[in-house]
Amino acid sequence: MKKYTVYILIAAALLAAIVLPRLLPKPFEKHVLILIMLYSILGSAWNILGGYTGQVSLGHAVFFGIGAYTSSIMLIKWGIVPWVGMLVGGVIATIVSIIIGLPTFKLRGFYFAIATIALGEMTRTLFLNWEWIGGAVGLELPIKRGDKLINLQFYLSKNNYYYVLLGIFLLTILAIYVIQKSKLGYYFRAVKDSHEAALASGIDTARTKLVAMGISAFITAIAGSVYAQYLLYIDPYVVFSSAISTRICLVAILGGEGRLFGPIIGSSILVILSEYSRAWLGGGGKGVDLIIYGTLIVLVAAFQPRGILGMVEMVKAKRQKAVVPNA
Amino acid sequence: MSRILKAIILCSVALVLLVSPAYSKVDVVKIGVIYPLTGTSASTGNDYVAAYQLAADIINNVTNIDFPFAKTVGIPSLGNAKIEFVPADSQGNAEVGKAEAERLITTIKPAALMGCHHSAVTKTASQAAEQYGIPFLCPDSTSPALTERGYEYFFRSGPTDNTFIEDAFQFIADVDKAKGTKTQTVALVSEDTEFGKNILNVEKDLANKLGYKIVETITFANNSTNLSSEVLRLKQANPDVIFMAAYTSDTILFMKTFKEQRYYPRAIIGQRAGFIAPELFQTIGKDADYLFTTNVWAADLGVARPIVKTINDMYKKKTGKDLTGDYARAFTGAFVMADAINRAGSLDPEAIKKALLETNLPGKDLIVPWEGVKFDQKTHQNMYGKTIITQFSNGSYKTVWPLNLASTPVVWPVPGWDKR
Repeated sequence: MKKYTVYILIAAALLAAIVLPRLLPKPFEKHVLILIMLYSILGSAWNILGGYTGQVSLGHAVFFGIGAYTSSIMLIKWGIVPWVGMLVGGVIATIVSIIIGLPTFKLRGFYFAIATIALGEMTRTLFLNWEWIGGAVGLELPIKRGDKLINLQFYLSKNNYYYVLLGIFLLTILAIYVIQKSKLGYYFRAVKDSHEAALASGIDTARTKLVAMGISAFITAIAGSVYAQYLLYIDPYVVFSSAISTRICLVAILGGEGRLFGPIIGSSILVILSEYSRAWLGGGGKGVDLIIYGTLIVLVAAFQPRGILGMVEMVKAKRQKAVVPNA
Repeated sequence: MSRILKAIILCSVALVLLVSPAYSKVDVVKIGVIYPLTGTSASTGNDYVAAYQLAADIINNVTNIDFPFAKTVGIPSLGNAKIEFVPADSQGNAEVGKAEAERLITTIKPAALMGCHHSAVTKTASQAAEQYGIPFLCPDSTSPALTERGYEYFFRSGPTDNTFIEDAFQFIADVDKAKGTKTQTVALVSEDTEFGKNILNVEKDLANKLGYKIVETITFANNSTNLSSEVLRLKQANPDVIFMAAYTSDTILFMKTFKEQRYYPRAIIGQRAGFIAPELFQTIGKDADYLFTTNVWAADLGVARPIVKTINDMYKKKTGKDLTGDYARAFTGAFVMADAINRAGSLDPEAIKKALLETNLPGKDLIVPWEGVKFDQKTHQNMYGKTIITQFSNGSYKTVWPLNLASTPVVWPVPGWDKR
């Protein structure tokens, strides 16, 4: 593809992303868009650690929850605007991720994944019993009407939540793009391809993994803060649930792990599938929606473990092969 | 203008004239009901929906029973419009509950919303209703915080944890007097989600206020796999009475462990949930004997009031199960809503809200043993909700308190495992 075609494509996609919520008037459609954006950010953040660096985490809800709790607590207890709380939450999540990373990165492959599951469960139990932050009763965020951007609460139009998330998503994508092209990006991929070879080439693998985890945790926490502002109620079962951890991971893997636009594709499919199947079939109470949702995930995992983008590339490659002998 | 164009315009005008009266007439009154229809609470959620469907059957058809709306078809003031309860699945998840509330409000345009069993889901779903200015009636969630938010469109017909626990302490005082015992020490046992924690806080406050000594406080993980050390701690603390808030699987495990360790205090008083779940008696059988639980409904209320038995029989015919405190509350909520809409005479949210505020149902029109339904003008909490204390014997819970409703004498203190 020529360079300017890429620019045109990017501009078109951006325009579509900006116009899209205006074309969908129903709040439920907007809700779906917001969730798609949210999980695109979360999937991209996970991708930094899981996709590029090859460290599969099944406990990312820890950072998501820390972000949600930090901004909410700062708002409720001290009246600090969520934008500041968001950044503080990001920093705290990064520090926590480093503390978690130091011992767990000594574990490889499955053992690291198992350790992250355990950490997720531990954090939830800790928050359930921590009275100062509301414990199991959770936190209700004070309602601020007037749709001011500074309060990060919008009643008249949900579009604003979407645009805030879109902005964060674009920044995330940009950051990942820059990292990908930098030396750090090559370090990440080296660690993923072969830990030993990376070590032999003089890469500080432990530090590389910690950096990946830190960046990933920071972005995840930011998304958590926005989520708390969107739902206006959080408790440990809402933000620290293992279902969130799994979904973050699924989004990235379904779209194609280690690919820049994998998460947005994965999240579009996954969120639309889960939300609309529930809306259409959920009232029947037979769980049909969840069966369909689960079946599709199994199918993709079984037949195309490289995700949807992997599938697209495979089709492309086949076509090229078919074209060559004729030419 | 061509003739065809004229004809088209004429036809469309005629069509508009024909169709427009139909818009002002109400055919169906839709009420969205949000419950956990999948996940760990799925069977509970589906039984709730059955209770709403039973209410709709009675309201929409002529039924030969002595109950409001039974003798008429639909909502009389709205031209006998039928009422329809549209179920939506919350999956027991606060985010999903809110999304479903919003989807219902903007697609089926319900006159009101009801639900949602889990207090956390009720919190977020009612937030959406408040935002859109749609009345929300909660018949079942008990977290006191729900009616302390100052919401304009939120109403609750069922009692709160405060009432349940106050009545439990009142019961202890009454039974102490009657049986000549003296209860001095209590142990508080709660699971670790919002449900258990809320109850624990209220219990602590009341126990301190009423001068009971708390000898042990235990918070255990929801869905535990082993509770031996918790029971051991209780055994060592040796309280007179244990208060317990637990869901089904934990209640079963606690009872099994109590028996294993041959320990039983003077009484165990449960807080509904696991204690009223049919699975408990199916699993532990006679070991459930003498258990107490706070409640809002028991089948023996039908002895004094035949209508209660009639409704329970109708429910049993539909689902194969008895009503429980949960479903009886939901059924009652459905009639509170139908009554308000009938008095409002319109589907305008403001009119329904006003009618709800003016609700004044007498106790005789309910299947729950309340004085009636009348909402506090500020908090919108039903002021006349009452609770009962039931004790398990011969395969079902029997009312033992208050005394004017009691069908069976209370067994107090409860005999230990070796004396049964």
